[in-house]
Amino acid sequence: MSPELEQCPRSLLVCEKGNFKNEKSRHESQALKHSFNCRISLLIPECGRLPVMLEKVLSNFSSYFHVQDFPVSTFLEEKWLDAVKKGGFYALSSKTRIDEDNVVAVLPSGQLILSLDKDTYEQLGLEGRPSQYSHRKTVRHIVTVDLKSLVLGTKKYQRVLLCLKERVPLKTDFLFTGGAVSLLDLLSKQLYEECRPALHCRTLQDLLCPSLIPSDLKGESGSVTPTQFLEWLGAVSLSISCDNQATSFLSTYACPEPQSSVSQALLCTVTGLISPQDVCKLLTEIRRYLDEPKLTSWVSLTVHGCADSPVSWGSAEHGFHKGGENFYNFVCFQNQDYWLHMATGAKDACPP
Amino acid sequence: MEKKPTPYERVVCKNTSLYHYMKINLVFDSRNKSLSAEQFKQLIITGLKDLYGEVGAAFPFDVLTFNQTELSAILRVYHSSLVKLWSAITLIGSYESVSCAFRVTQVSPFLLALSGNSREMEVF
Repeated sequence: MSPELEQCPRSLLVCEKGNFKNEKSRHESQALKHSFNCRISLLIPECGRLPVMLEKVLSNFSSYFHVQDFPVSTFLEEKWLDAVKKGGFYALSSKTRIDEDNVVAVLPSGQLILSLDKDTYEQLGLEGRPSQYSHRKTVRHIVTVDLKSLVLGTKKYQRVLLCLKERVPLKTDFLFTGGAVSLLDLLSKQLYEECRPALHCRTLQDLLCPSLIPSDLKGESGSVTPTQFLEWLGAVSLSISCDNQATSFLSTYACPEPQSSVSQALLCTVTGLISPQDVCKLLTEIRRYLDEPKLTSWVSLTVHGCADSPVSWGSAEHGFHKGGENFYNFVCFQNQDYWLHMATGAKDACPP
Repeated sequence: MEKKPTPYERVVCKNTSLYHYMKINLVFDSRNKSLSAEQFKQLIITGLKDLYGEVGAAFPFDVLTFNQTELSAILRVYHSSLVKLWSAITLIGSYESVSCAFRVTQVSPFLLALSGNSREMEVF
């Protein structure tokens, strides 16, 4: 059989371990670099009910806004430019696919990123660069406009305005979140819908858990490897049972060794557009939770990125090939050590 | 006893996942067919046998979950067999002489990614 059939697109997994108390620890900056998050999930072993402090943080996640038919040229209005300069909101076009449609995003750094198909790019007439993930023939272009450096009335401003308003009046649905600025003021002229991130909790009984050793990230001394651990975590969040008989016809999946049994565990998921700042707040609260003596020695936090955002880590370009996964996972230990796993699919840069 | 914090360490792993995971579901022309998980797996194996013969059908794959009402499943397959499995299920056209088709919702080398698919998610 031809060997090409056995090949698969590449995937990357970056594993880091460190200590939260280390001054040079990059846990916060890593979380802040991942701009567009659509779901987080929290796994707390030996816990039956969501602790009050954690619930407070989870239910105080900032709202996000869904705006229909938002013209991209609106970002060039004076009050929007002022807001951009103050730093901070996240905007992402919704229901647009990075491998089919035009995708638009605004990062808190003030960058307006347009990922455009060939036709739109040629009509628009703004300078961009070919997408990193094109084939021999370029079919997708990335245009980056730095809104922060754009001054009202200058030649450059006029040109961008002309392109976005008259040449190609781009309009798409948007999701907005976060930031120091009041989005309600900004969106007053638009038809918008305020959405709250949805929280779901589930208690799992009698769970088989792999035993984790904080100092052993790679699983060299016989404990779990990062891939095994992530697979197990996925199995838990998708309610896949581990106790398969050796003779089972259906599945041979088993919990990695060494393992121990946990009488109960809490799995919480929050769905919505979640700002990185909220993720950082949650991370701080998890550390505080583990500071007190607990039955469990670790808590895990998974953050899923959007498959169709034009950027993934920082401002690195993101694409979609078979899958568009970009997610990271923190395992926080009682001694304030942490593991950070960052995973990406085929069309994605290496996480920083 | 104050433990010394572990030193920082970073490892980059390329293609470490031994497996690929697929979320698929089976659609029937007329909506009145019910399958057990075993029959579902048998159907896929039959498809593999039709396309790749006995040897091709012999590679192992797992049905991790099976939802009988939606006829959706999560499969785990060695990454070297992904293309073969995918092509085989694409060509399966009928079950007990009722025409049907497999739809692939998501494919990923990480099982965890299947629990947070933004394309399937309704966030507003």
